[in-house]
Amino acid sequence: MDVGLFSQYVMNGLMLGMMYALVAVGFTLFFGVMDIINFSHGDVLTVGAFAGLATYLGLVEIGVSWPPAQVAIVLAVAIVCTAGLGAIVAKYLVLPLKDAPALNTLLLTLMLGTVLHEAIRLFYPLGANPQRFPSLLPTDAYTFGNFTLRIDNMMLLLAGTAVIVGIHLLINKTKLGLAIRAVAQDSETAKTMGINFTLIVLITFAIGSGLAAFAGILHGLYYSEINFAMGLLLGVIGFSSAIVGGLGNIYGAIIGGFLFAALQTIGVLAMPFASAYKDVFAFGVIILIMAWRPTGLIREKISERV
Amino acid sequence: MSGDAERGLVVEDVHTAYDKADVLEAVSLRAERGKITCLLGSNGSGKTTLIRSILGLTPPNRGRIVFDGTDLTDLPTHKVIAAGIACIPEGRQVFPKLTVEENLRLGGYQETSPKVLARRLDRVYETFPLLRERRQQISGTMSGGEQAMVSIGRGLMSAPKLLLLDEPSLGLSPILVKENFNIIRRINEEGITVFLVEQNVRQTLAIADFGYVLSKGRVVAAGTAEDLSKTTEVHRAYFG
Repeated sequence: MDVGLFSQYVMNGLMLGMMYALVAVGFTLFFGVMDIINFSHGDVLTVGAFAGLATYLGLVEIGVSWPPAQVAIVLAVAIVCTAGLGAIVAKYLVLPLKDAPALNTLLLTLMLGTVLHEAIRLFYPLGANPQRFPSLLPTDAYTFGNFTLRIDNMMLLLAGTAVIVGIHLLINKTKLGLAIRAVAQDSETAKTMGINFTLIVLITFAIGSGLAAFAGILHGLYYSEINFAMGLLLGVIGFSSAIVGGLGNIYGAIIGGFLFAALQTIGVLAMPFASAYKDVFAFGVIILIMAWRPTGLIREKISERV
Repeated sequence: MSGDAERGLVVEDVHTAYDKADVLEAVSLRAERGKITCLLGSNGSGKTTLIRSILGLTPPNRGRIVFDGTDLTDLPTHKVIAAGIACIPEGRQVFPKLTVEENLRLGGYQETSPKVLARRLDRVYETFPLLRERRQQISGTMSGGEQAMVSIGRGLMSAPKLLLLDEPSLGLSPILVKENFNIIRRINEEGITVFLVEQNVRQTLAIADFGYVLSKGRVVAAGTAEDLSKTTEVHRAYFG
């Protein structure tokens, strides 16, 4: 295969991997602190993307036309919206059910997800149709043979990398991160250290959901289009990525996200005649990996309780 | 502060139940400031439940828990800790995937001054030099005795006024048990009020000032450590 074309596939795979990783980190954070699966996560991403789009339209309406300001405000509003939504989900759906079977929370968040994307379909103007997402970043491009390097894609990749590095630093180098890790390992002992458990759970859900908005905007900027159902597949893929990496492990989730994107890309490369089957191929391989390593790729090195 | 009568820990007529099974019935006791007070009792007598009730992990259904004049009864756990209480939990419960130093820092979670924290960390390392050497070790890979040091050090990181210890000698070798009791005595000599929950009657009464015996969720005997070592209630509580 041509090197240029191959590079194009790699670039696309990295972009997808970034989105999946961001979504997967959310799933793994929620599972870490509350041992639950929040199935509304994908639809929270959709809410973030639409909040960003609505903000953009509002900005145009009031005459803010400088793209850097637009990008910053769109991102900020989308992230604040979903962070708030995540905290509300934690406070009113997840925490009250903490003594109930985890399946109940799973069902509840699944239903909430349906409410969210159906609400967008019904109440957003022409919400049933795909919406054009504006290109807010410079679209200059350099062409090398069959490979076109677009500045906006480079910026998206760098921004995504920066966010992932930021999350790593937050979790490992800050007091908040230490508290999150303590709650994830043993919430009861964490409480007796003087950690405000409820607050840490709300903050963790806000962080995870804020990441989803970031991924949603990334998706919009990359594909120039969003739709009310975009969160469904992204949610399932993010969830699979988190599981395959080892649920509860942030690095596992990131690796899982990029792995899934790699599998999709390989699927397209290996079967150019049937690229529609790339998801079938990717999920198939994920199933095989799970059969081989039922607890995910990154195994816990130490047993939780001696 | 509401006068001397409320200094230290006061547990008044506490009833605690899990689901519908009563575990504690009308438990009243006091841990006087500056003293070592112990609570003896066999497995299932409700000792750990009382600790959980004090900490707000399993709030009592009835009764009152007061520390230095602050009513703890309905406070969430982090506010109980803010009142100056620390706990060394049963089974040590170090965070297995965190390093020794991270565990210790969590003990001082509510202290905001880095200077004060660094000083306390230094003190813990002076008490347990081994922990300084191992400060980057993942706690889950340490032996039971080493984890006991982490757990005690962590409990001291908040510079508590009252330290609750839930069976600190459980699962340790006889030599370590002895060392553990010496450390508890030293902690108390530094002015920290100690409430010690134990099954190890003889060694506990040897360091305690005052003691209570819990049996089937009720206080069945109380007295100075000296008196308790003589009474038969202690034996009855253990051997039926």
